[in-house]
Amino acid sequence: MAELIEIKDVKKVYHVGTEDVHALDGITLTLKKNEYLAIMGPSGSGKSTLMNLIGCLDTPTSGSYRFNDMEVKDLSDDELARIRNKEIGFVFQTFNLLPRADAAHNVELPLIYAGIPRVERRRKVEQALEAVGLSERARHRPSELSGGQRQRAAIARALVNEPSVILADEPTGNLDSKTGEEIMQVFEKIHHAGNTIILVTHEEYIARHSGRIIRLMDGLVESDVRV
Amino acid sequence: MQVSESLRIAVTNLRVHKVRSLLTILGTVIGVMSVIAIVSIIEGMNRYVSERLLEEGSNVFYVDKFGMITDYQEYLDAMSRKDLTVDDARALERLSTSILVVGSMSQSRNDVRYRSREVSSVEIRGVDEGFQPANAVEVEHGRFLSREDVLRRRPVCVLGADVRDKLFAGLDPLGKEVRVGRYIFTVVGVAEKKGSLLGMSQDSNVMMPITAFQKAYGSRSPVMLMAKARDQESLQLAQDEARAILRARRKVPFSKPDDFAIMSAETFMEMYKNFTSTAYLVTIGIASLSLVVGGIVIMNIMIVSVTERTKEIGIRMAVGARRAEIMFQFLIESLILSGTGGLIGVLVGVGLAVLVSNVTPLPAAVKAWAIGMGLLVACGVGTFFGIYPAARAAKMDPIVALRYE
Repeated sequence: MAELIEIKDVKKVYHVGTEDVHALDGITLTLKKNEYLAIMGPSGSGKSTLMNLIGCLDTPTSGSYRFNDMEVKDLSDDELARIRNKEIGFVFQTFNLLPRADAAHNVELPLIYAGIPRVERRRKVEQALEAVGLSERARHRPSELSGGQRQRAAIARALVNEPSVILADEPTGNLDSKTGEEIMQVFEKIHHAGNTIILVTHEEYIARHSGRIIRLMDGLVESDVRV
Repeated sequence: MQVSESLRIAVTNLRVHKVRSLLTILGTVIGVMSVIAIVSIIEGMNRYVSERLLEEGSNVFYVDKFGMITDYQEYLDAMSRKDLTVDDARALERLSTSILVVGSMSQSRNDVRYRSREVSSVEIRGVDEGFQPANAVEVEHGRFLSREDVLRRRPVCVLGADVRDKLFAGLDPLGKEVRVGRYIFTVVGVAEKKGSLLGMSQDSNVMMPITAFQKAYGSRSPVMLMAKARDQESLQLAQDEARAILRARRKVPFSKPDDFAIMSAETFMEMYKNFTSTAYLVTIGIASLSLVVGGIVIMNIMIVSVTERTKEIGIRMAVGARRAEIMFQFLIESLILSGTGGLIGVLVGVGLAVLVSNVTPLPAAVKAWAIGMGLLVACGVGTFFGIYPAARAAKMDPIVALRYE
């Protein structure tokens, strides 16, 4: 079976003033379906840049990134948007929910951009909210939800379009440890349901939930360990 | 993405910023409102004037020595011309085959008194017997001035309905003597009420034999001829004949232009249309100025809105919104802004036009094309000025947008 994600010698260079910053300096890694990967590293190690690349929000300066056997570099803006919509589910540290929309509408968002009809959207939203245990709070706005509930809504949004991979960037960073643990249980559950998860964190105990830990340092893979 | 979702987002956002949205569309409202109101009033006046002119009889034309005077030199030139005379009127009747009847008229203003009652500044008309048929004057009471009255310079007069009402108020005026300036005239008739034209009464006048008029006001007061053609078809021919006859009588050399002017309802209508088309241009100029300003305001607020919602744009891009969809969303929003402005402008403009036609003598006719154009232009302005902010939103880098606080 083909790899879901195949990254070969990827570099990403930013121009800051007159200086070139090598955020990624030749990274190679592969990921299969249904893996649960944690990416660790100190700030400035290139974690976020790598996440953005994997999430098709950005493209590499050089090297090859193949997603589902497609060379991401060759894709147009619209094709990248389509991949983000159908194949990738983002979970952010700051939740990034639309403040003026209720939880259900936030979850519905990717389905709207996917052009799915209303009736089917409603069914999928219900399912996703059910899966994260937030059905009761569907009609509440983010400001009326607790941090944990907000993150559940964000996970439901990431799940709703049945993506190939869920990218979680410090999903427990803004939560207390108890709530953080609950959220990790949610990830565990959806991993068991067959989803592929990539988690960025700098907390060792969070990373330990995963099946494989990659440590980055100065834009390079320092270690790649299966737990 | 469905249009309904874009609409939903746009309406939600505009409702959240009610006051801001209202202020934003003010320019558009004012622009569309002035177009609708002024077009309605001008159209109303056009219809009114053309109806009234046709009613006056479209087979009547007028001859005087002035024509349309537009500057002082023209006025001086015209003043030095020979006057038209009652004899010219008779000659036209005799020599032209297409002219049915010709009336002559001289005008002045004076106070009219009956015993202790007085009406000031009444239009005094010296007319001949042709005036009645040419001008379709109906006599309500008594009789009109006759050929004998004119030839014998009799001191008799016919009162306009307003003057009768003010001087006699219920009394029978026939046979009574009224004082016009220094002279005394016997009332022989009362003309039927004609109503007002653009707020000016047409019944505030006294008609007397032109000979008597010339005795009282001097024989040098200019005479205007009113000629009635046989019918509508022969109007042009009648005017041509009148021109030839008058040139011969006034001995105008072949190479010189007319030293008199012929005007018909059409001439007045053309002049009027000229005037209103200028008014149209001015209105449209001012309105487009305010629409452009309104558009710039919309653009400005949309740029603010795009900046404020940078994070939202980032989120939408992360969950799969294409750039075109982001662009579309903001375009719809500015379209709704300006469309709402256009709609309010139409409502206020129509209201204004109706108000004006109710409280002033100006009539108003609300035109469907003006409403359609107003809305279309408003929406066009919104779309045009929405392009830049929307493109700015669509061009955003999703990573930068997501990080925006």
